[in-house]
Amino acid sequence: MTRDFVITLCDGPSCMQKKSKELKEAVEKELEKHNLANRVRINISGCLGMCKNGPVVVINPLYTLYGQVTPADIPEIIQSHILKNKPLKRLAIEEDHLYNRFFRVFGDVNFFGKQMRITLRNCGIIDPESLDDYLSVRGYEALAKVLSGMAPQEVVSEVKKSGLRGRGGAGFPTGIKWELTAQQNSDEKFVICNADEGDPGAFMDRSTIEGDPHTVIEGMIIGGYAVGAKKGIIYIRAEYPLAVKRLQKGIAAAKAQGFLGENILGSGFSFDIEIRLGAGAFVCGEETALIHSIEGHRGMPRPRPPFPSVQGLFDKPTLINNVETWANIPVIIIDGAEWFSSIGTQKSKGTKVFALAGKINNTGLVEVPMGTTLKEIIYDIGGGIPNNKKFKAIQTGGPSGGCLSEEYLDTPIDYDSLAKAGSIMGSGGMIVIDEDSCMVNIAKFFLEFTQNESCGKCTPCREGTKRMLEILTRLTEGKGQEGDIEKLERLGNMIKKSSLCGLGQSAPNPVLSTIKNFRVEYEEHIRDKKCRAGACSAMAVYEVTDKCVGCGVCKRACPVKAISGAPKAMHEINQDKCVKCGLCFRNCKFDAIIKKG
Amino acid sequence: MKKSVTIYINDKPYQVESGQTIMQAADKLGYHIPRLCYHPKLSIEGACRVCIVEVEGMKNYVASCAYPVAEGMRIRTHTKELRTARRDIVELILDNHPDDCHTCERDGICELQRLAYAMGLRHRHFEGEKKNYEKDLSSASVIRDPNKCILCGRCVRICSEVQKVNALGYAHRGFKTVVMPAYNMPFSESVCTTCGQCINVCPTASFVEKNYTQELFEKLQDPGYIKVAQIAPSVRAAIGEAFGLEPGRAMERETVAALRKLGFDYVFDTQLSADLTIMEEANEFLERVKNNGRLPMITSCSSAWMKCMEQFYPDLIENISTCKSPMSMMGALLKTYFADKIKKEPKKILSVAVMCCTAKKYEAARPELRVNGLPAVDIVVTTREIAWMFKSAGIDFVNIKGEDFDKPLGLSSGAGTIFGVTGGVMEAAIRTAYEIYTGEPLMEIEVNQIRGLQGIKEGKLDLNGTEIRVAVAHGLGNANALLNTVRQDPGRYHFVEIMGCPGGCIGGGGQPYAGSNSTPLDEECLKKRAEALYGLDRQKIIRRSHNNPDVRRLYKEFLGKPLGEVPHKLLHTHYKAKEPRGIVSQEMTLR
Amino acid sequence: MSTPMELIKQKRAEAINRIHSKGYLSTKRVYVGMATCEIAAGSKEVMEVFSQAMKNGLTDVYLSQKGCAGRCNLEPTVEVVEDGKIPVKYCKVTPEMAQLIVERHLKKGEVVKEWLIK
Repeated sequence: MTRDFVITLCDGPSCMQKKSKELKEAVEKELEKHNLANRVRINISGCLGMCKNGPVVVINPLYTLYGQVTPADIPEIIQSHILKNKPLKRLAIEEDHLYNRFFRVFGDVNFFGKQMRITLRNCGIIDPESLDDYLSVRGYEALAKVLSGMAPQEVVSEVKKSGLRGRGGAGFPTGIKWELTAQQNSDEKFVICNADEGDPGAFMDRSTIEGDPHTVIEGMIIGGYAVGAKKGIIYIRAEYPLAVKRLQKGIAAAKAQGFLGENILGSGFSFDIEIRLGAGAFVCGEETALIHSIEGHRGMPRPRPPFPSVQGLFDKPTLINNVETWANIPVIIIDGAEWFSSIGTQKSKGTKVFALAGKINNTGLVEVPMGTTLKEIIYDIGGGIPNNKKFKAIQTGGPSGGCLSEEYLDTPIDYDSLAKAGSIMGSGGMIVIDEDSCMVNIAKFFLEFTQNESCGKCTPCREGTKRMLEILTRLTEGKGQEGDIEKLERLGNMIKKSSLCGLGQSAPNPVLSTIKNFRVEYEEHIRDKKCRAGACSAMAVYEVTDKCVGCGVCKRACPVKAISGAPKAMHEINQDKCVKCGLCFRNCKFDAIIKKG
Repeated sequence: MKKSVTIYINDKPYQVESGQTIMQAADKLGYHIPRLCYHPKLSIEGACRVCIVEVEGMKNYVASCAYPVAEGMRIRTHTKELRTARRDIVELILDNHPDDCHTCERDGICELQRLAYAMGLRHRHFEGEKKNYEKDLSSASVIRDPNKCILCGRCVRICSEVQKVNALGYAHRGFKTVVMPAYNMPFSESVCTTCGQCINVCPTASFVEKNYTQELFEKLQDPGYIKVAQIAPSVRAAIGEAFGLEPGRAMERETVAALRKLGFDYVFDTQLSADLTIMEEANEFLERVKNNGRLPMITSCSSAWMKCMEQFYPDLIENISTCKSPMSMMGALLKTYFADKIKKEPKKILSVAVMCCTAKKYEAARPELRVNGLPAVDIVVTTREIAWMFKSAGIDFVNIKGEDFDKPLGLSSGAGTIFGVTGGVMEAAIRTAYEIYTGEPLMEIEVNQIRGLQGIKEGKLDLNGTEIRVAVAHGLGNANALLNTVRQDPGRYHFVEIMGCPGGCIGGGGQPYAGSNSTPLDEECLKKRAEALYGLDRQKIIRRSHNNPDVRRLYKEFLGKPLGEVPHKLLHTHYKAKEPRGIVSQEMTLR
Repeated sequence: MSTPMELIKQKRAEAINRIHSKGYLSTKRVYVGMATCEIAAGSKEVMEVFSQAMKNGLTDVYLSQKGCAGRCNLEPTVEVVEDGKIPVKYCKVTPEMAQLIVERHLKKGEVVKEWLIK
């Protein structure tokens, strides 16, 4: 229901401590007093990143942030802002953070209000094809700041101080990567943006580029300045034509305004960006494979060390970061490493974008501070599971990630907690699974993907995942054998420890984590030839119940003539002949045929 | 001086040089970590994962072939877990490999077989689907059998890194990954030069030569033929290895005797036609020098090099000597001069060449080398094939009593012998050209500046005040570097020798497989083979081609003068640019 | 000579001027989601309705495209931003709905409440 005003109360951990609950009660009381309850909506947001001013209250329209609000201040605020339409100057905070522009427009909607948008700060706010729009939201100011007196080492140390970790999946400290690249002595260095987003269902990189291409470009120029590179390359998949077009347009516009090219903003620093299209191989998201691909070779990883920071593209020191990582750089420069590192957890700073999908009411891209729990994402932002189904698992980290069961719902999302729970952050895929899905089948689905996308170079990944897939396939077909779980574990652990690159090292995760958390389902498949979710059709048993009126539809539909019965008499299915196609089940108009798991 | 670091292997401390890999350090310390895709001459692939070791503090195993040692590093090479992992990895390879060891060409000399045994693979846990591809039989020289491929990538690497031909690459992904020529075209239509180095480095039988042993066995039984064999110089330098003898033991007269036992009527020496080649080539060179002909002149004996040249260096065709290879010269003589001499119809002569080379099979099939409509060489078998035939026929090669070559085409000079080593053709040509040009014999007959295994060698020669600059390259990758220099600076050299294989013919694609204690193309082994040929040369009284009395008689009786009419018809040929599929034509790039 | 920081401030001022000159200060600013996902959901056609309406004389409206806000199953989305009011966010907009948004909201100032993101 729309109201005339929205009062947002920050519910971040810091504001909570500072008693935001009491504030809420005070607001409710005051609204009641003025009989405003039907004109004003109270909205509870996630952390708004203004902890030092907490507790924070935001009122829209006339978007105003009130800081250090006590319950005693509430009557005055409502009196002024809502009754007189005049923001209360006394408590209003002047702030110009880059990140919260999104909140001005979308903050009152629960799905958005719970989020904190740093990477996606401009997505959905500005015209991505207009450099003017980007400039109007302090675009390229970070670049100007860097070029107006920050030495390259200062930029590196700022990124280091921020605690930013690689958003592509592995979570390597970005600042250390920058430092290592900056330390290399070389006549030429490169900066690469990894936009080869390959996880099925993950699209944060595409969305970032399509919604705000300049932030990536700006981040890269700053990176080039910091490490001493003059050339940047964006490696992006050809399947993202719109993103490519917006990047091209963005690069051209940035060049025309002097943000790219020779002597940027009169600083003497020169930098240029080129776009390379990838052909859609999942493995090309791996940095060494990506570099091979840019060099014109087949995208296959190579052993590290040497790391790209030392010996990368064309054997030159190369700084390679993911789109999301780059998009954070301008924010760190403008709002400062200190502010950035105040968000998130001890070891994982800032926010992370997730692609929320599967059996969840609100699907979409969400960006939350590190440390947000899985439960908050699924229920507070995602709106829970549709059709009153029961939550079964959440798969994080894309095809290389793991499936976590209900007991992990309170896990705070950061690199280390997820790894400890047996999954990974990955690029940020998040698929919610409900009771209708079979965990063996889910594991098979992901492994099928990684097996197909394995580059084929190293034995464990190429051959090992194939054998695991064969075992999973026979499990789902009801042909599992005793010892299959142990074989899966043996192969899985070996593949994890022996594979050449991250793809193989993480490919068994969906299998190993489902065995760990849902072992009983595997055992049922093997011992009882039963799939409790009813998803493995080969194991289903179809039976006719006494609802049958003997109409004969099922008999005619059955392709293998497994159904018999006289007209108007109850029919019967010959289980030996039945091929589990399910046609009888779907064709019966009287719900007389039931499917057993 | 490299820094020294302390590492611990299985808890024992060692001082090793930094900058090397764990595998290199361990090798020197007597730990032979099992390995498969690794090859010392090729780049690090890190693909097979057989050489994994545990390094303390690392979450995962590391590939010892790729990982550098560091101070204080604690390495374990065969813990229980590691042994299981390695065993499982080798099983995974084996599970996707045909179970046909007993009927396989490489039974008993297969690296995978050896490895599986050493890993203790006595039963299988993970069997499943196996790959199933057609064999590619299209090439005249090399059979490609993807079913036996274990994707170690050695063939891909040798073809691109050592030979710079890039005939092979990976295609498809995951379990369907396969090594193939571009666009999966038949091997015969690819840029493959048929050098056979892929066969040499393949750990299994995914690449083998096109085998003619059955056909030869049959023809040797056919009374309608006069069976004549010729032997290339480097066959005798390496064939002993196939019988377990140390590399470097020359088995010349033994091979002659064994061939006779196999059923050949005549055994001739390709070294005689090598002398003949020198007579023609040295004169051709001097002609070019005198008449301002196209220089540098480039040798044409190596068949793989010739196919490579036609594909990649058509601009240099005019620089190529028009001389046929010694094998084809011998073949031409057999079907003319020799047939006359023994009063037989040329088509009744079965001309068989025993070569160190797979490319010679391709050469023998070239239509332009036919003589009066007949192939000059009917069958080419490699050193490996003939060694197998000896074994199959029960010939006790190791203990056989040596015999002499037959007349009239069996006597050769030391110059003909050294044809088998890189630099040998050039050295032989210098020995003769010098004397023809100056009228004086060359005193320092061993031209050391162009000997050895360095990739590109240069030399200078003073012909009565005229400086002649020569260069030698072996392996098509080195050839590529040298020829790019020639393209940029055509005046830099007068005479260039190119051999397609590393080390020259002694490292040919048809030579015996490396045994259990050596690696393919091991440099020490190549040096020993080279030394075998240099030793034979030193033993000879006649060390200059033009002094070979049989060659002189041949010119007198039959050929006339070098570069004359008969030689022109029988001993020379011409080459045409080839444009195999997979090479972008200039027309296309312009468009 | 000016520093990069001075330059960027100048450039920003120019950019804002240019945006203003395109009618940004109109009463209503309409943003249509135009990322791949939005376009796949049909936002191009929706955009077409708005730009056609502008051509046909709809005044005091600033029309712009925008990236994806991240609410996939509600696309295409359209925002109408008015100073002093809570930004209005329409979801699952079809060309027909867009036509009605033009008629009712942009012309008459009447928010179509049932189409809003809840």
